[in-house]
Amino acid sequence: MKISKKTYDWLETRLGIEELIGKSLKGYLLPRNINFWYSMGSILLFIFALQVITGILLLIYYVPDAEKAFNSVKAIMNEIPFGWFIRTCHVIGASSMVFFLLLHMLSVLFMGSYKSPRELNWLSGFMLFTLVLAISLTGYLLPWSQLSFWATTVATNSVGTIPLIGDFLLEFLRGGKLVGPPTLGRFFALHVAVLPVTIAVFVMIHLFLVKRIGISTPPFGLDDTKNRWDDGKFRYEDHPGGIPFFPHYLLQDLTSIALYLAIFVFFVFFTPSLFFPADAFIPADSLRTPAHIKPEWYFLANYQALKLFPNEFIGIIVQALAMTFIAFLPFLDRGKEKHPLKRPVFTACAIGGILIFLALTIWGHYS
Amino acid sequence: MKIPTSIFALMSFLACTLVLAFPAPAASQTQNVCIQCHGSLEGRLGKPVQQWQGSIHEQDGVTCNECHGGDPKDAVNAMSPARGFIGVPEEKDIPGICGRCHIGVNRDYLASAHGKALGKGGPSCVTCHGNHAINRASLALINERSCSRCHSYERAGELKDAMVKTETLITTMEDKIDTIRKGGTDTEPLEKALFSARNQFHTLFHDVDVKKVQNESARINRDLGKIDASLEAILKKLHERRIAGAIAVGSALLAALILYLLRKTYEKN
Repeated sequence: MKISKKTYDWLETRLGIEELIGKSLKGYLLPRNINFWYSMGSILLFIFALQVITGILLLIYYVPDAEKAFNSVKAIMNEIPFGWFIRTCHVIGASSMVFFLLLHMLSVLFMGSYKSPRELNWLSGFMLFTLVLAISLTGYLLPWSQLSFWATTVATNSVGTIPLIGDFLLEFLRGGKLVGPPTLGRFFALHVAVLPVTIAVFVMIHLFLVKRIGISTPPFGLDDTKNRWDDGKFRYEDHPGGIPFFPHYLLQDLTSIALYLAIFVFFVFFTPSLFFPADAFIPADSLRTPAHIKPEWYFLANYQALKLFPNEFIGIIVQALAMTFIAFLPFLDRGKEKHPLKRPVFTACAIGGILIFLALTIWGHYS
Repeated sequence: MKIPTSIFALMSFLACTLVLAFPAPAASQTQNVCIQCHGSLEGRLGKPVQQWQGSIHEQDGVTCNECHGGDPKDAVNAMSPARGFIGVPEEKDIPGICGRCHIGVNRDYLASAHGKALGKGGPSCVTCHGNHAINRASLALINERSCSRCHSYERAGELKDAMVKTETLITTMEDKIDTIRKGGTDTEPLEKALFSARNQFHTLFHDVDVKKVQNESARINRDLGKIDASLEAILKKLHERRIAGAIAVGSALLAALILYLLRKTYEKN
């Protein structure tokens, strides 16, 4: 008997590999009309893994000290073998994560997959979205460049506008009245320890919920597009006669990941400057404010919206209310219909929201 | 109709929050009163502001009082001699005023034939550079129309020809540095070397000794050649990276295609 066969048999006796594959992969059936948009989650998992790997590699050379941070990043970009590649991947990966999270959330919205009994899936996903925004914001400061310093100053200033407790919160966040070395220490700890672990926990919760409740049926290509869940008791949504996750949908996931990788690598090698404004290569200087400091693209809409309100605090409150509304949407939208064309009011509002977000982003970019 | 107490309380709370949230009106920002006043005037008194807008001095934040004196923060005493206002400077004083910032250039100018002729019909700084609509100094300032106002263009043309290659080299290298910097490569040592070579080159701008300018330009060109070789090496490396990137993109697309076809095969089975 070959040694490989012997090893397999040994493991099979102890782990029941065949049963595991049969039950969890081949026996895990998905709706027959499942589409490309269902692979967004896999792309996001892949990006998160890539961010963790590149982040750990950057940690080897990055020095979280205001005196040394900028030069350590400069060394990563210029002296460390493939340092430029690792850092560029990490920077572009951060933007990709936000972008694909938005796509994932939009597909869930339009296909009505957030509806009962998947309120917790949506909430945990929404939490992941806010955590990803937080990890992006904290990571932005770490290179200690003019861009990171002033973008963080602008972003944290908003906290100070909250009446009564604003000043205290601002000082707590920055570790002082102004952005400085204590802020770097705080943001570093959040970025490399607190937030990645929290994100990992929420990813596990999200995946557990997806697996526990079952994959939702997309509303496309069906006569009955209503939510079939009956309130009152737990029921796993199975899909008899559906396609097996392995190998069918796993191959779709891998195709999507390969396509993502092609786009991602293109940005890394051909347009890195899109993600590195000129101020990203100038060391932080608290005495020199750059002329047109702007946040990353995913905060441009919020940044521009804040300018439209007569007072920043009101702007923050309005945006916080909008975010809360989105977070609790499954609890408010109790309609059974899932097909976007059969719920025109929702679809019109959602498209309107997307257009407003895009318009504010473009306006913020050119303002 | 009676408003329910809870709604009234809520509205009162919101109103108080809004009042508290609005900041007290801030004092208007301090502005340059010279520009404020002259900018609104027409004709001779307003023209300098229009000319200054868009100039290199405006870009660098050099305002009226730097040359004309006075107090740009006090509208009443802005033009008071007690605050250093001198109005239109005397021609003989102009190099001294410009030289407060352009120290080396002033030294070169005063040592040149142009500087030595100051006050005896020779040009001051503004004769060639202008006074308010000042652009970044370049060889374009040496042209037949401008030079022929005082003398024949022949020697000026020879000087310009000797310096054109160097200026073109510097401009091309500045563009290369800009391209490289945008990708995250540290260009500081090369920028410093180019800055030094450019400064040496600029010392020739006021010299009218053709032979000396030709020799110095040739020497600076050799120095620039070394910097350019380093820049070319970096650009070559970046080009190689892009080739690697193209291969990586192609491989990922190919992988996507194979995986897609594989999935279709399973679907048929």
